[in-house]
Amino acid sequence: MSLLNEIVSAFAELDEDRTVNLIKEALEKHTVNEIFDACRHATDIIGEKYEKGEYFLSELVFAGHIFNRILELLLPKLEKEKTSTLGTIVLGTVEGDVHDIGKNIFKAFAEAANFRVIDLGVDVPPQKFVEAVKEHKPEILGLSGLLTLAIDAMKRTIEALKAEGLRDKVKVIIGGGRVDENAKKYTGADAWADSATKGVKLCKELIGLKE
Amino acid sequence: MSKIDLEKLAEQRWRRIEAAANLKEPDKVPLELNLDFGFRAKWYGITTYDFFFDYEKAKNAIIATAVDFPTDFPPLPMFGSGSLLGFALRDHPDISQIAGVLTGPMHDILRDKYTRWPGREISPNAGSFQFLGGEFLKAEEYDDFIKDPFGFIAEVVTPRAHQSLEKPGSAEAMATLIRVAVEGLKYIKAVDSLVNELIKLGYPSLLASITSVPLDFLGDFLRTIPGILLDLRKKPDKVKEACDVLMKETMPRRIILTSKSTGFVLIPLHLNEYLSPKFYYEFYWPHLKRIITDLYNQGVKCQVAFEGRHDAYLESILELPKGWGIALFEKTDVRKAKKVLEGHTCVMGGIPPTLLLNATPKEVEDYVRKLLEEVMPGGGFILSTSTAIPAEVPPENVKSVINAVEKYGVYRR
Repeated sequence: MSLLNEIVSAFAELDEDRTVNLIKEALEKHTVNEIFDACRHATDIIGEKYEKGEYFLSELVFAGHIFNRILELLLPKLEKEKTSTLGTIVLGTVEGDVHDIGKNIFKAFAEAANFRVIDLGVDVPPQKFVEAVKEHKPEILGLSGLLTLAIDAMKRTIEALKAEGLRDKVKVIIGGGRVDENAKKYTGADAWADSATKGVKLCKELIGLKE
Repeated sequence: MSKIDLEKLAEQRWRRIEAAANLKEPDKVPLELNLDFGFRAKWYGITTYDFFFDYEKAKNAIIATAVDFPTDFPPLPMFGSGSLLGFALRDHPDISQIAGVLTGPMHDILRDKYTRWPGREISPNAGSFQFLGGEFLKAEEYDDFIKDPFGFIAEVVTPRAHQSLEKPGSAEAMATLIRVAVEGLKYIKAVDSLVNELIKLGYPSLLASITSVPLDFLGDFLRTIPGILLDLRKKPDKVKEACDVLMKETMPRRIILTSKSTGFVLIPLHLNEYLSPKFYYEFYWPHLKRIITDLYNQGVKCQVAFEGRHDAYLESILELPKGWGIALFEKTDVRKAKKVLEGHTCVMGGIPPTLLLNATPKEVEDYVRKLLEEVMPGGGFILSTSTAIPAEVPPENVKSVINAVEKYGVYRR
């Protein structure tokens, strides 16, 4: 098996130590883009396993942890070598909600999928999202929230975009354990996801990429 | 209504809940509405900040919504978060009750790091206080924790988790504890008065308590959820030992505390949805099963909130004694749950709060009618929302649920 294929299988099997060692080895022999591709392949497999019910949230959280360790190793070279991304996602937990576990898993998977993610943190007021959309001109705005109360803040954020004439400039996806089709309609979002892997898949669709 | 009529009403409501819990058909499908604090505050015309920082206002808001949105279950007489101090003081039951809840004013006094409150860290109109938890037990400290878990919480965790208690024995720390006690007495007085008012309104007196599974306790209060999930992989033996020692330490007390219970012991689950089968069956289910079974053997029933999607573990519920209590489902379809658990476990839930956000009252009515047609035959079903109803839900949609149960939820007149 090639080194890159070994990375794919070690990461997809969530073998942290082996993955980290293989990445260190690969940094001597491969470009960052090649290593990144292997990681993306692995997170795709992890996503599929989750959708099939073979993996659970405990595995996604751990995959996020491994990916963040990989990023630390790649980072010094990443900024120099990495050429292009699929697009930019401005991401944050909406106003009034301070939970970030779901947001952070989504962020790891979105970065692994080669999106550039601007993370605004938690309890982000609508105006701050608006300013970030103006500044970064993202393809996608990701609004996260755990509690049912977050759904109204998502709506207020989307309304703030409309008021600034920005709504048609960006696709909006809402995410969290309690969002659903009803919440999508209520908020006026373009898509909803109750899992990080589904969210990343939808982000690709939103920018016109098919699997 | 006269006093006698109200007593009858309370009795009728309790019989209804009891029959469903005992897997029978009551006269009507019992209803519970989990109105979020923010919904109650808004209905009463105050901010959630007012609600959490003025017990009298909270009490009045709860009563106002209990009158205007009548259901079979009384609102939970609690308007605060679980408190680490309550665990630290658990060997002093005469005062641990005072410190068992963390209220808004207590948050100001203790300056705890694990909760966020409207009008403080978040907007005065944020729908509720929020529980964040924290890493107050470090990954390398499991052995110390296992030796004496509640001593560790009192001596190591408490100073870490509360800025005002950072220096145990200091004047500030001592003053803080006295201030919390004074505040706690005020809170208990408000809760007692609320409970009495609810009885006067014809609500059954469900004297209940809340408990948790050891792994959830570790995740929520001491290690954070991502932290405990990492521990499960990196130090599974320590996590297991910690869970076992918590079980051993807490089970006898759980039995004493719940022996006077007239309602259900509430067990909200958090990690159930996160865990893969390997973790669920080794670190979680054995403890949950034992808590429910031991309490059942003492004549106490539980109401378990299976948070998130519990589909993968639905059938394990059949391992519990038949009629053990009530299973509330969030994202697991209650129709499916009812089929799997028919004749064994009372199923509760069915209304996603997001439906109430969007629909017209007529659509809500149609939804409830269709749902009840499927799940009410044979009894053993309680209708409720799957999670809290946020402030922005139109009140007429909540009323539509209540009316729909009157119309379509009747087994016999």
